[in-house]
Amino acid sequence: MSLFDPDNWRWLFAGNNLPFLVRGFWINVQIAAVAMILSLALGLALALLRVSTGRLRRAAAGVWIDVWRNLPLILVLLYLALAMPPAWRDAYRRAVPAWLPSAFESQFFLAAILGLTLYNSAVLAEIMRAGIQSLERGQGEAASALGLRRWQAMRLVILPQGLRRMVPATVSQLITLMKDTTLVSILAIQEVMRHGRIVTNTSGSPFVGTGVDAPLLQVFLVIGVMFFTVNLLLSRLSRRLEIRERRRTGIEVERVTGVEDQLVTEVAAR
Amino acid sequence: MSDLWEVLVRHFPEFRSGFLVTLELVAISLVIALGVGTVVGALRAAPSRWGRWLGGLYVELFRNTPLLVLLYIAYLGLLDEGINVSPLAAGTASLGLYTAAYVAETIRSGVFSVSRGQIEASLSMGMTHRQTLRHVVIPQAIRTVIPPLGSLVIAMIKNSAIIGVALGLADDLLKEARQINARTFQTNEVFFWAAVGYLMLTVTATFAVRYLERHLAVRR
Repeated sequence: MSLFDPDNWRWLFAGNNLPFLVRGFWINVQIAAVAMILSLALGLALALLRVSTGRLRRAAAGVWIDVWRNLPLILVLLYLALAMPPAWRDAYRRAVPAWLPSAFESQFFLAAILGLTLYNSAVLAEIMRAGIQSLERGQGEAASALGLRRWQAMRLVILPQGLRRMVPATVSQLITLMKDTTLVSILAIQEVMRHGRIVTNTSGSPFVGTGVDAPLLQVFLVIGVMFFTVNLLLSRLSRRLEIRERRRTGIEVERVTGVEDQLVTEVAAR
Repeated sequence: MSDLWEVLVRHFPEFRSGFLVTLELVAISLVIALGVGTVVGALRAAPSRWGRWLGGLYVELFRNTPLLVLLYIAYLGLLDEGINVSPLAAGTASLGLYTAAYVAETIRSGVFSVSRGQIEASLSMGMTHRQTLRHVVIPQAIRTVIPPLGSLVIAMIKNSAIIGVALGLADDLLKEARQINARTFQTNEVFFWAAVGYLMLTVTATFAVRYLERHLAVRR
């Protein structure tokens, strides 16, 4: 089989093929980081609405979360890219600082970040809600008996404990987000998938490439290995955090719908 | 508002055929995911160390690689090697094998959720290994496994949208929507109906899981 034929792997060290792929992958890492930070902020706001006292607010947040969580991310990305008014795209391109990577200057970048954030914030809100509601009622009651107002109790008592419990699940969601960043290649954003296509298309040419053919199968296997390595490290980290947390608090884990392998901590009913 | 209905009525045949293709993709991938997932899950719990290692390798490999990369390898990669895979086979195999990794983990945790004491008790009552599995372990494991399997089906419905648009491997709902949009530019209306189509599937799956969960629940 030609998979292991050394001739099919010569491209890897020819010219700057490998650094070019790594640079593309680094863009994915940066996109995931930006989307994660925004999703955590929006997700926390949604989770707080979801557990608030107003019935209407709670229902509205619930519907919002369920809709974004149940739509295919790629549909959201495609829709936002197609429907975003040109004025917004231009405004974004003018506003984007020059020190950001050039992939961030794409006119569809705003749509990409917005789509990733809408989807992931909904999932994270659900994880955070489970974390908050996993605390014993007594915690909130004790806080109010001590004379704390509702938001004080939330900020000083509930959130610090509830959010701790969702750290492992959040790391797992980061893995899903890392994988999902490849979808923005559909919006012509120059990340690792696009870089892979460029390497396979140009490497063989002696003029623009290296003169060494880069077979598609091998190029995308290398890209797969990059994701595998980073995500494996993240999943090990998530597992370690989970075990540590379970040892500290004796809590059980439960799954949340819409998440692929995410475990959410909840108090065991034992 | 009237535009909304008009778009649905005028393009109903395309929407319907896209919806059916999406259903087909999900159904085929689900069979692959459950079949392969069960085998890998059994390997993960096997007595042999090599079996466990192999199962673990499969799970980590497929769970940590993006589905889009798998699709590129399974279709364009193999095509480039001269292996002619049909677009439908490449798409459903990728989605099925990807989801199988999650199915395997779910099944393994379901089997391990049955306490050791119960297994020891039934063995000491004179049941054979096989009887224990059939009458004690599996009935309980199935109940534990249904909610997480349901969320995997939902994730699979959503992931199926990648197959059509990313590589054009199937004329599914999202691809049909994109094509209608390219002709009409009624983006809001077209994507609204595509979203409704996907929500119909995911919400149905959610309720089906809830129903099963209630009807299989045991009072302990």
